[in-house]
Amino acid sequence: MTLRITLSTALAAATLIATPAAAAPKTDLRVGMAAQDVGQLDPHRAVSTIDRTVVAWIYNGLVRFKPGTMDPAQIEPDLAEKWESSPDKLDWTFHLRKGVKFHGDFGELTADDVVFSLKRASDAKTSAFSADFAAFKTIEATDPATVHIVLARQVPSLLGLLTNYSGGYIVSRKAVEKHGADFTRNPVGTGPFAFVSDTPNQSLELAAFGGYFRGKPKLEHVSYRYIPSDSSRDLAFQNGEIDLVYGKQDQAWINRIRALPNSVVDVFEPGELANLNLNIMAKPLDDLRVRQAIAYAVNRPELVKWQGADTARPGQSVIPAGYLGSVKDVGLVNTDIAKAKALLKEAGYPDGVTIKIIHTQLPQMLGSMQVVQAQLRKAGINLDIQVVDHATFHQQIRKDLSPIVYYAAARFPVADIYLTQFFHSASIVGKPTAVTNFSHCDVADKEIDAAKTETDIEKQVSLWADAQKKIVAAVCAVPLAEALQIWAHRTDLDYGYELKASLSLGPLLTEATQFK
Amino acid sequence: MIGFIIRRLLASIPTLLAVLTLVFLLVRVVPGDPAIAILGDRATPETLAALRAELGLDRWIGAQYFEFLGHALRGDLGTSMVTHRAVWTEIAEALPHTIVLTLAAMAIGCLIGIPAGVWAALHRNGPIDVLTRLLSLLGLSFPVFVSGIFLLIVFALQLHLFPVIGNPRPGDWIDGLHKLVLPALTLGIVMAAYVVRVTRSSMLQVLGEDYIRTARAKGVPRRSIIWRHGLSNALIPVVTVVGLYVGILIGNSVLTEIVFNRPGLGKVIVSALTQRDYTMLQGMMVIYCFLIVVVNLITDISYGLIDPRVKQ
Repeated sequence: MTLRITLSTALAAATLIATPAAAAPKTDLRVGMAAQDVGQLDPHRAVSTIDRTVVAWIYNGLVRFKPGTMDPAQIEPDLAEKWESSPDKLDWTFHLRKGVKFHGDFGELTADDVVFSLKRASDAKTSAFSADFAAFKTIEATDPATVHIVLARQVPSLLGLLTNYSGGYIVSRKAVEKHGADFTRNPVGTGPFAFVSDTPNQSLELAAFGGYFRGKPKLEHVSYRYIPSDSSRDLAFQNGEIDLVYGKQDQAWINRIRALPNSVVDVFEPGELANLNLNIMAKPLDDLRVRQAIAYAVNRPELVKWQGADTARPGQSVIPAGYLGSVKDVGLVNTDIAKAKALLKEAGYPDGVTIKIIHTQLPQMLGSMQVVQAQLRKAGINLDIQVVDHATFHQQIRKDLSPIVYYAAARFPVADIYLTQFFHSASIVGKPTAVTNFSHCDVADKEIDAAKTETDIEKQVSLWADAQKKIVAAVCAVPLAEALQIWAHRTDLDYGYELKASLSLGPLLTEATQFK
Repeated sequence: MIGFIIRRLLASIPTLLAVLTLVFLLVRVVPGDPAIAILGDRATPETLAALRAELGLDRWIGAQYFEFLGHALRGDLGTSMVTHRAVWTEIAEALPHTIVLTLAAMAIGCLIGIPAGVWAALHRNGPIDVLTRLLSLLGLSFPVFVSGIFLLIVFALQLHLFPVIGNPRPGDWIDGLHKLVLPALTLGIVMAAYVVRVTRSSMLQVLGEDYIRTARAKGVPRRSIIWRHGLSNALIPVVTVVGLYVGILIGNSVLTEIVFNRPGLGKVIVSALTQRDYTMLQGMMVIYCFLIVVVNLITDISYGLIDPRVKQ
């Protein structure tokens, strides 16, 4: 009897121990990123998707896009609680939120930190985004909680430059001065998550910042793991070892992950528009008829079908859809192989033409280019593709070594940025002011410049529309397809907002992000 | 023996000097600009020039070379252009993982390969021999990124015996051993496939020698003939292959580390190459070459230990 009682007691005790009262939700988030390592955690030099995704969790801007959106109309206060501007939009005053703390022991945010950050973002020696701030005349702190910015000329979206994106992030002056060049591995911001440690080629660890001005984040710890192998990353997600994973812009991947239990695929903006930039100065592309033949040979629906209906949509203009100033009816031609052949013949290439180009070995970009290659071949345009690694590709296209450059990019969603960087003559590669104008296009400078300072929004949009039409008519570039951002997460992870867009190209983690 | 080691170490100095020079030139011959890799596509030429100046890449290449050589000879491999961490620090963190993986794979390769090779030789052309050769061929046919993924699907995804992400928790050696099994097996299987073939053919050759026949005629036990007289003489070519294969193992560890997401020199070197991190690349390649020199030295010393005739 005694033995029976003892056994029953032990069993009951064991059952009690084994049965959790109520399973507490997880608070540690594990993220799997397609990366060998993180590059720059200094936000003013963070340019890759790998860096930008995580930088957005550490820093704030003066203003921010409402989480899950990238609509300039939905820009809301972040570190600045309010702002005002002069009627001519040249004088701006920002009033800072009080009591905002930097991570660690770097104290409270002051106007001095903001001035320091914006001057740093506009300095070519310290920022990859300095060109965006060219119109800034003065940035001053009028008191510890007020920042006054004077512009030399109007810019299409000043607030856009000051969002939680690219050069708009605010850093701690003390931290930058303390760490110097090592700041890139010792980031100090005001965001919901603070840097804890970085293990090269393995992971980056972040912890919830208890002093975050919107309240302590519900997640306590974020592990940002670099998993370069696509297969291993997918297997780790499938095996429940990571909760949030960087995906592939590929329909087969989307379908496979959707079929997994407890998995949600996130498809969100911005779409990265792939343009086929044609160097209008290089033979045989200096002949408009050859460029038009390429435009007629390209088959956008086929490209979208190849990439996948969920991740891609046809390019509608030379700038991505949905940007302020992007228009649909810009005169893009539909596929017409007979017309393409006729144009080539007219241009003096009755037997077709061969063009040597350089392209990256990145699988997604290479695959798309091979589809384009097959399409152009039907019209007698043979692309002789020299495949190089991605770093080499970037170096060589900037030396004008490829007459056709396939380039996919997303930018701040206002037409001016894309048009200026890709189609304004000041941005032609090789010039001291070069950015990414690979086509040497200069046909729309007048409209792009006029739109920059136009205060009437309707006239501004009309100027941008005219610029797009001129660029399309001159066939400086042939739009191909836009690829949306693809990630996947486990169903128990709740971002705390509806993810429709993220300019950092990864899901934003906020104080509300949690496991259900 | 000590004199032999000193002579070999002295002989390796010119090799390392040549390696330093070659490495410096190689990383710069490879197209790609570290400044563009770091700052991306929106950086203006002015910004790129500023970073090149900050990294010292705007200076005369000869000045860069002599500075690198001077520092390297003093044991200073510089700091990473991307992370600003000391190259030695990253090497010190990654190297033990690569060495452990290489040694574990070598142990698996030898422990499977040598007995299987002997066994196959003793059953020449029999079913055991045919099966061993077939398995060896299979082992050689699968690249590590295929066999690695296969092992992950079976043992991690289906059987849940091992994790997919293989970076061990610092200081937890049990976790380290647990996460070492699949990567070491992936590399070790390929090595075993090589070793089994060499051991088999070497053993067959030795077993046909006159002195083996004499030993048999004198009534020396079979076990003694095989292990003492046969294998000890058949080991020289096996040691050569193992020595050479360690170099291949270190190279293959690059892929294994990526598939299993393990820390190690391989991951660091791929990362440095992707980001055109010249200083890190230089440091890594110097270490790789140094490891190969050391392995060759150990191989030569092993010859002497196995066969006293070599020492003479």
